[in-house]
Amino acid sequence: MPISRGYLVKRIVMLFLVVFGVLVIAFIITRVIPARPELLWAGPHAKAEQIERARQDLHLDKPIYIQLYYYLADFLRGNWGVSWRTRQPVLLDIISCLPATLELTITAFLLAFVIGVFLGLVAAVNYNKFIDKAISLISTVMASTPVFWLALILQTVFGIWLQVLPAGMRVDLSLAIKTGFKPITNFYLLDALLQLNMPVFLDVVKRMVLPVITLMMYPLGLTIRMTRSLAVEALQELYVKALEVWGLPKKLVLYRYVLKNVIAPVIASLGLSFGYTITGALMVELVFVYPGIGYYIGMALLSFDYPAILGGIVFVAIIYSVANLVVDIIHAWIDPRVRF
Amino acid sequence: MDRPQGEILVTLPLHDFFKFLTRRSLYMAGFIIVIMFVVIGCIAPYILTRPEEAWGTAYDLRKAFQPPSLDHPFGTDAYGRDMLNRVILGSRYSLIIAIGVVGLSLVIGVVIGLVAGYLGGAIGTTLMRLADMFLAYPPLLLAVALAAILGRGVLTTIIALAVSWWPWYARLMYVTVNSVKVAPYVEAAKAIGLGRAAIMFRHVLPNSLIPVLTQAMLDMGSAILEAAALSFLGVGVPPPIPEWGRLISEGWVYISKAYWISFFPGLALLITAIGFNLFGDAVKEYLNPRLRNIGGGL
Repeated sequence: MPISRGYLVKRIVMLFLVVFGVLVIAFIITRVIPARPELLWAGPHAKAEQIERARQDLHLDKPIYIQLYYYLADFLRGNWGVSWRTRQPVLLDIISCLPATLELTITAFLLAFVIGVFLGLVAAVNYNKFIDKAISLISTVMASTPVFWLALILQTVFGIWLQVLPAGMRVDLSLAIKTGFKPITNFYLLDALLQLNMPVFLDVVKRMVLPVITLMMYPLGLTIRMTRSLAVEALQELYVKALEVWGLPKKLVLYRYVLKNVIAPVIASLGLSFGYTITGALMVELVFVYPGIGYYIGMALLSFDYPAILGGIVFVAIIYSVANLVVDIIHAWIDPRVRF
Repeated sequence: MDRPQGEILVTLPLHDFFKFLTRRSLYMAGFIIVIMFVVIGCIAPYILTRPEEAWGTAYDLRKAFQPPSLDHPFGTDAYGRDMLNRVILGSRYSLIIAIGVVGLSLVIGVVIGLVAGYLGGAIGTTLMRLADMFLAYPPLLLAVALAAILGRGVLTTIIALAVSWWPWYARLMYVTVNSVKVAPYVEAAKAIGLGRAAIMFRHVLPNSLIPVLTQAMLDMGSAILEAAALSFLGVGVPPPIPEWGRLISEGWVYISKAYWISFFPGLALLITAIGFNLFGDAVKEYLNPRLRNIGGGL
């Protein structure tokens, strides 16, 4: 592996600094800028004593650096506040929602990556021909689609008008109870497979189809565009000409040599689009009533549930930073030219 | 004002770009969409046939939920307001927000990237890590927090998006400046004793702008989409402003019986975003001789 231990340590230290910075910014936005942060924290219908309790919980009677200290300490202890909507600790809520969102985003990303690289290569090989132009136009349309609008339209057409795909929730609850389905890991696809429960597995898949298609649009469009332009440039390189002159079959050159040069930057840019996809997941889950983190934050937004909104979004920021680190490591691992 | 030396921007003739466009029909389509969007956005208040309905001040419940017809090509909403008028007026807000977000981010990003790239060292590293922190922020959090503090509105939406948008330009600028600052003319400027600020702003800046400006052009479509997403979630532009994202969310509840309320604003959004993306690609390809020499494009 071309990553030195020193670099890894440096990156992890940097990760902690970034997370620290994210927390400080959140602290400033919610505790320092508002005139009376306890009002936000206690909720819209709080009574006087609840507001007083929130005041004490937030240590607003102490100097600002002590407040920051308590804020960070509470955060590390996992005390992220209590959601007014669910009346549960925010961190607990988030952790129980996480697998649903991961299942959705990972599926969407994997599909976007495989289909996108394939279509991008097809376009590059047929550069400037009709197929290339068609694929390029489709990818532009995909990257331009408003996610929440597409979710609404697909749900209306396939879920309500045609009734071919069930809309909403992760699994049919009565079916789950009837077949004795018990979530273990909360990754329902995996759970259903482990319990050899085919009806539930199919139901989960059916309910994932529309959300995954919607969520896939942006990363898929991005992957096609990236792969195409990188492959078009790579195909001009001397080493490709050399391999062809040498008599290697075109397909072999494409999949063994060009693909290798294309895939690393594609992964890097897909990783960077992760943040965008999380916002996308929020809207997709909200529209499809799919109970993941996005749905959780979305419901919190609609009910102005500040502890939940903040906890959810700080969590997303942390995931995003970690994902960036992981993407960089994968990038270096598959592309030996990248050395850190 | 005297011109900065070594400027490349002025040497790109506009008619050459236009000729480039005419040879590529899809890029031309993108260009036309962008021009139409900008023109409609500018003149929207003067071409409305039902201005009170568009602004949301007048309503007629007897006309509610009318499907698309000759009289109301985009139908009417839950308050009987003509959707075509509302969508037309909405273009103005998308335009203002997109220009605001990208413009504000450009100013912040270019200055920070320039300073970080040119000075380098501890200052450079600190500035770029700062950029990373803001980049890790989903624009949503800022929009929610700012909406709570400043109130929802066009300006709040612009600030919320720009705060998590500028780091992209700062990063790009940082990379460009790092390659520009070792150019012979910068060495020459140093040799004749010009000050740091003069070199940075008069020599390095003009020569580092093209990549970041191209990127800004490419980002206009995304800015429009993101702003609409915030409004859709209820933390962007408040009612009764007919911003497209808001119109879509207004139609959400009625989607199964009156699809047109959400459908047409979304279609407008989609077409505008496609236009900007195609046009951005055109600019990018035009400015990148390597891509251009291979020939083709859309």
